[in-house]
Amino acid sequence: MTTVSLTDVASYLPGEPVPAEFYTGYPGAEDKLRDSPMFKVPPARHHVAPDESNADMIERAVQPLVERHGRDAVRGVDVLLVHSQLPDLPFVGAGTEVARRLGANPEWLVDVANAGCASFVYMLKLARQILTTTDARTALICNAQSAAGQWFTQSEVRRLAQAAIPGDGCGVGYVTTSAKSPVLDLETRHLGQYAGDMTVAVDDGRKYWEPGTSQLRIGFTDASVAKVLARGNRLVPEVVSAVCERLGVPPGDIGALVTNQPNRTFLRNWREALQLPAERHPDTFDRCGNLFGAAIPVTLDHAVRSGQVADGDLVVLAGFAHAGDFAGAAAVRWHGGRG
Amino acid sequence: MSEQPSSALADIPGLLRIEDPGREALTAHCVELTHAVYPHDQVYGRYCTIHEHIDCPPEQVYDYLRQGHHLEEWTCSLRDFAPSGTPGLWVGRDRLEDDTEIYCRVSANPEAMTVDYHCSWDQGEKLWMIYLMRVVPASLVLDRPGSVVTWTNCRHPYYDDNPHPGLAPRPDRPWVGDYWDLFYAGHTVEMNNLKAILEHRHRNGLPIGVPPARAVTR
Repeated sequence: MTTVSLTDVASYLPGEPVPAEFYTGYPGAEDKLRDSPMFKVPPARHHVAPDESNADMIERAVQPLVERHGRDAVRGVDVLLVHSQLPDLPFVGAGTEVARRLGANPEWLVDVANAGCASFVYMLKLARQILTTTDARTALICNAQSAAGQWFTQSEVRRLAQAAIPGDGCGVGYVTTSAKSPVLDLETRHLGQYAGDMTVAVDDGRKYWEPGTSQLRIGFTDASVAKVLARGNRLVPEVVSAVCERLGVPPGDIGALVTNQPNRTFLRNWREALQLPAERHPDTFDRCGNLFGAAIPVTLDHAVRSGQVADGDLVVLAGFAHAGDFAGAAAVRWHGGRG
Repeated sequence: MSEQPSSALADIPGLLRIEDPGREALTAHCVELTHAVYPHDQVYGRYCTIHEHIDCPPEQVYDYLRQGHHLEEWTCSLRDFAPSGTPGLWVGRDRLEDDTEIYCRVSANPEAMTVDYHCSWDQGEKLWMIYLMRVVPASLVLDRPGSVVTWTNCRHPYYDDNPHPGLAPRPDRPWVGDYWDLFYAGHTVEMNNLKAILEHRHRNGLPIGVPPARAVTR
C-alpha cells in the first residue's frame, strides 16, 4: 500500500496577542465563572482583524510551505480539504476561494464541516484515503478558526466566561505520497449519540440568521459541562490508546502528544490518563487560548519550531469535537518539513 | 432534619455550600477535582471500598453474610473456623500465610443489613482488621431485583506496623498489612466468589446457606 506522509505543517496567528484583560476588564464581565477550570482564562490569544477571512488566514498560513516546498508544489496539490470553524458565508465553503488564492486546481476539494476540534485528524484520514486509492499525490489540509475575534467579541457575549477562552489562528498540513514522515495509523470515531448536544443559544428564539437583537453564544450549562468533561476525559485517551495498541507501542512511548486545546483541565487529564510528562504534551493554550480545529496543526507547528518535537519522534495527534460527537487520533513518525 | 442557622457555620473554615461560593463556583471546583484517571494509591491507599450487584434477595444475602462460617466459602483464604472458647469469637486459619490464625467476631444489624467482621491475625484480644459490609436492596438503588453489597476496609495503623510481632508463628512470617495494595484485587476476587455462590443457589432454588462444619459456641 502507498505510504502517505504528513510532510510538513505551518501556521498563522493573526495580529498581536490580546491580553486576558480584554475580557476580564470589560464592563459587566461575568466573574462568577472566571475561576472555573473549564473557563480558566488564558493570558493571551489572537483575534482576526475585522476584515480578515478564513481564506485570508489560510493563505497566510500556507506561506511557509510555499517557501519550503516551492510555489508549484502548493499550486499543484491534488487534494484540498478545508475546515472553517466559523464559515464566513452561508452556502459557500472557503475551499474554492482558497484554491483561487493559491492558484490551485485540485481534483479533490472538500469543505469539511464535521469533526470540529479534531478535524485535522479527520482530514488527514481523508487525505490518506484519497492519496492511497487514486492518482492523487499531494494534499493540503487547512484549519481556520476565526470565531474568537468575531463571535466572542460581540458586546454581550464578550462578558461571558466562554468568550475569554477561544483564540483565532490557522494551521495547515502538507500531505504527500512519501515514506519520509509516515502516517502510521489513525483512529476516528463519529459518535452520533452525542450529536446535537452542543448548542448555540439565541435568547429570543429566532434562527441564527433571522433578524433580531440577541447575540449568538454557545449554550453551556453546568450539567452540559459535566457531561462533556466526562466524555472528553474518556474519548481522547481511548482513541490514542487504540492507535497505540494497533501499532504495538505503549502510550508512554509517544514522543509528542498534540491535542486540541479546550482548557487546562482536559490537557491535564489527557496527559495523566496516558501517563505522559508535560514536556511530551506540548500546548499553546496560554498563548493562543482554545484554537478549536486549528489547535492541532498550530500546536504541532509550534512544537516542531521550538524543538519539542524532534526528528524521528512518534507524534500522536488527537482530539474530540463539539460535545463529543467525534474523536480521532493519528500517529505519525515525524521526519517532517524543515530539513 | 432542620437547616443549621448559617451563623453556626460561619466560624468553620473550608465549607463549600450552595450559598457560598455559589452554584457556578461549586461546579467549577468539582470540575477541577474530576480527573480522567486516578492513581491506585489515591483511590485505595487509605480506604478500600468495593461494591457489587448480586442477583439474590437482600434478606438472604444478609442472612448468609451474618453467619461467619460462610467466610470459608466465599473468601480466598479463611478456613477451618471453630469456636475459640470466648462466646461469639471464632478462630480459623488464614491460609494466605502458613500457620497463621485469624480471630473473627461478627457484628450484624438486621435493620440496617450491615455485617461487620472484626478480625485479627495471631490474637483475639484486639480485633482491629474490620471488614464493613452492607447489603442494600437493589430495587431501591438500581431499580432491579437483587442486592447491592458494599465492602469497606480502613487502613488501621496496625496494617503498617504489627503491634505483636512476637505472636507470629515464625519470625519471617509476612504481615497481613504487606498485602494492603492487593486488597482491591483480592477483595474483588472474593466479592466475585460471593456473587457466584449466592446467584447459583438462588437461581437453582437451593438453600442459600450451609451448616457450620463445627459446633457453635453459645
